[in-house]
Amino acid sequence: MVVNILVGLGVALFGFVLQTAMGGINRKIVARVQKRIGPKWYQEFIDIFKLFSKRSVSHGWIFDFGVIMALGGIIATAMFMPVTANIIAFEGYDNFFIFVYLLAVGMLGMAMSASGSGNPLASIGVMRALTTMLAYEVPFMIVVMTIIKLTGGTSSVSEIAAFQQIAGNNWFIIALPLGGIVAIISLMGMLGKKPFETYIAPAEIASGPMVEYGGKQLGMLFVMHEITVFIEVSLFIHLFLGGAATLGVYLLKYFLVYTALNLISSVYARFKIDQVVVFFYKWPLFMAVTQAIIAIYLGWVI
Amino acid sequence: MNFASIEMILMITLASGVLAYLIGKLNAKLGSIVTILVSMYVTIAVIYFGYNGELVITTEYLPLVTFKVTNIGLFFASTVTFVFAMVSFFNPFFIDKYKFKALYSMLYIFSLVGILGVFFTDNFMTLFVFFEFTVWSSMFLIPMGKSTKSTTLYFAMSTIGSFALLYAIFLMRSQSGSFDIDQGLAMVSGAKATWTYILLSVAAFAKLGAFPLHLWLPKVLGDAPDPVTAVFSGGLEKLGAFVAVMGLVRLAPVSFNIGAIDMDFARYVIAFIGSITIIIGTLMAIRQDDAKKLLAYSSMSNGGYIIVALTIGNGIAISGALYHVLAHAIASAAAFLAIAAVARKTNTTKMSELGGMIHNMPITYMVYLIAIISMAGIPPMGGFISKWMIFQAVINKGLPIIAIGVFFGSIGSFLYVFRPLAALFLGQQLPEYKHLKEAPFFMVLPMIILSGLIIYTGVLPNYILGKINEIVVDLGATAVTITEYTITGFNGTIHPALISGMFGVGVFVAFLIFITFKKSKKVTLMDTYTAGEFIYTEELLHYSVDFYAPLERLYEKYIHIMEKTYDSIRNKIAEVGHFFKYYFFTNKPEVSVFWIVIIVSLLLWGESLW
Repeated sequence: MVVNILVGLGVALFGFVLQTAMGGINRKIVARVQKRIGPKWYQEFIDIFKLFSKRSVSHGWIFDFGVIMALGGIIATAMFMPVTANIIAFEGYDNFFIFVYLLAVGMLGMAMSASGSGNPLASIGVMRALTTMLAYEVPFMIVVMTIIKLTGGTSSVSEIAAFQQIAGNNWFIIALPLGGIVAIISLMGMLGKKPFETYIAPAEIASGPMVEYGGKQLGMLFVMHEITVFIEVSLFIHLFLGGAATLGVYLLKYFLVYTALNLISSVYARFKIDQVVVFFYKWPLFMAVTQAIIAIYLGWVI
Repeated sequence: MNFASIEMILMITLASGVLAYLIGKLNAKLGSIVTILVSMYVTIAVIYFGYNGELVITTEYLPLVTFKVTNIGLFFASTVTFVFAMVSFFNPFFIDKYKFKALYSMLYIFSLVGILGVFFTDNFMTLFVFFEFTVWSSMFLIPMGKSTKSTTLYFAMSTIGSFALLYAIFLMRSQSGSFDIDQGLAMVSGAKATWTYILLSVAAFAKLGAFPLHLWLPKVLGDAPDPVTAVFSGGLEKLGAFVAVMGLVRLAPVSFNIGAIDMDFARYVIAFIGSITIIIGTLMAIRQDDAKKLLAYSSMSNGGYIIVALTIGNGIAISGALYHVLAHAIASAAAFLAIAAVARKTNTTKMSELGGMIHNMPITYMVYLIAIISMAGIPPMGGFISKWMIFQAVINKGLPIIAIGVFFGSIGSFLYVFRPLAALFLGQQLPEYKHLKEAPFFMVLPMIILSGLIIYTGVLPNYILGKINEIVVDLGATAVTITEYTITGFNGTIHPALISGMFGVGVFVAFLIFITFKKSKKVTLMDTYTAGEFIYTEELLHYSVDFYAPLERLYEKYIHIMEKTYDSIRNKIAEVGHFFKYYFFTNKPEVSVFWIVIIVSLLLWGESLW
């Protein structure tokens, strides 16, 4: 048990280091797209360590408690995440719904802390974040439902990945092309990449939920954010890109997915929040349901 | 005198209802304390004797009434009486607000009597009589709150449900020849089975507040006195779920089978209505300003989950539905009580008028937080377990259209439960409430017990799931595979204790990180970033009005569709009435002469035929 917990914490730490490095590299790549030089690839590490060393302000106990709950919830979620077929802390318990809902504990903690700061901009940001969540989550879950049904009924993330590695089975992004597109769009929403960046919107609502933070609280939320991105991108890799047999393949897939999303996002402008909702409930939901019906009832899977 | 006899418990309760009235006439507070003692007694008696298998069902004094202890009856009875007992602690603190103080205590206890009768009988007539007893006693509790108008609505909708139940009972009797519940449900067949199915669904929908009979729920729960609201949402509404189990699970309607999903058409329609209930409940909850109304709509949406799960009707689905009954009962009772505790101090439940209550009432805040985590279906609370099981059932059956509603409601619940958290408890502390203190000990106590139970149902659900498995087997479905700590569904296994444990580990690590670094400097809530504006009043820095305005704008055109439909139905009925009134019940001589001529000529015609 202790070993499993240590492996789990190791996965969380790995996720943090990996995503922070990837984030730095991607800042460089996006800078080149925009004809800038960009910061050093380890700039994000420097930022986080700087924040931890600074003295901060606190707006009351819920402000601090929410941050702890946020980071705690996300670390707990990351502990269940399989990295490759062999690197997994709790085998058999990596249920898809755990990721969706345990992630929500962390989000709730952060939302609570942000609202507890008493800044209306933070509350507006939280409102937008939750509304965005309502938009992207439903189409995504319909697609995942199709996947669970097609694998013969397993919602274990690592088993879904293993299913795609069996000869004769395609990756689900190929097997379910419509669903794959929906998943990519939903993933952009989850990561808060443009055009779904509405809840951060630095120029409009001063970074939304993050507006009041500084010092170690902001540092912890940065760590939380990096691990969240790691969880979401990993979910996508395992569910749609056939998982990873070795760590090298995993790193390659991770880099490709995250960079591709960043490149897409670097050429878009921001949606308004109601546009986000209308967008997701128009095409992605329609495509997800169509995909579910043709895959489950008609059996048309590539 | 046998104290383990249901009849005895029932009669003692009934008598103490009258006693509460008499004592209440002398001293209102004492009368309401009787409600605590009685509901605690009933709860302990039901749970202790019931789960030790000692409840005696023979009757000595009550004529025509027969009792029976079933697993499902016991499960519902213990859940609902427990909610009654917890809520009753609030009665002494609220009794001064009502006009008829003694009557309140009596009716509160009488509703409990009805509950006992409904859940512990094997006879449809007994069930119906006690069902009505509960409806009537609870009906007079509602107008003691804000308005009497909602009572009318409750009465109207409840009547639809009651009549539907009565007709269903008659239909079953016409085939089985007795009022016995098991026989009636087993022997009804053919087209009558389908009609009984529909009628029982209507009865369940009326009580659960499901679409299209949902209009009473937000009005009643919004207007009723605060403790009564908690009882309605956590207890009385669950009568609907009880009827739903009877109708939706134990009856097999005969329409045609939809081949692709291997599901009967009638079942699919009910599941679809359940899913619409979830969506409407969620959308309406998101736009409420009154915290009680918001939670009322959330009750409606959760009722939808119970309906969807029961129509699917396999082992996992039924366990999910029953666990959801329990999880939602305690979570919504806790949430309503937390709001009631705030309302008692501030005299309002409007979120736009409140703010920063966490600084006055931290324990109430924590209770509300735990309750909403469960209501939103997030681990490590009870709501997660039930929602997980319901998801499994929906996915395994492959119902993408229904799944839209189910997933939408689940994510939507994050939105609406967060709104009171942000607007009422968090945000700026408004100056008019700065002096308020935490609720008194006897109000905090039941809330803490409820919170403890919410956590228990989320961390170690297996004891209760074992009990639910007995019900599932009774209903003819396969029991859910559970071990000491794990639950296995269609799509995998979860280990709730492991999830909670890891959450604990995560929080511990985060806490270590937090205390390792420099201590923060405390600043006031007004000391915030305002983009260079100078703002000195708390209200201006508190974001609570129209919280989800951009989202609400997308659907606010459509929210009154159901009211308008009912209005137009009412107008049509009135028109028909006018028509009949004009031609049959009128003082105009020409119309009377017309009818006399018609009747006479008909008579003459008939004469000639003979």
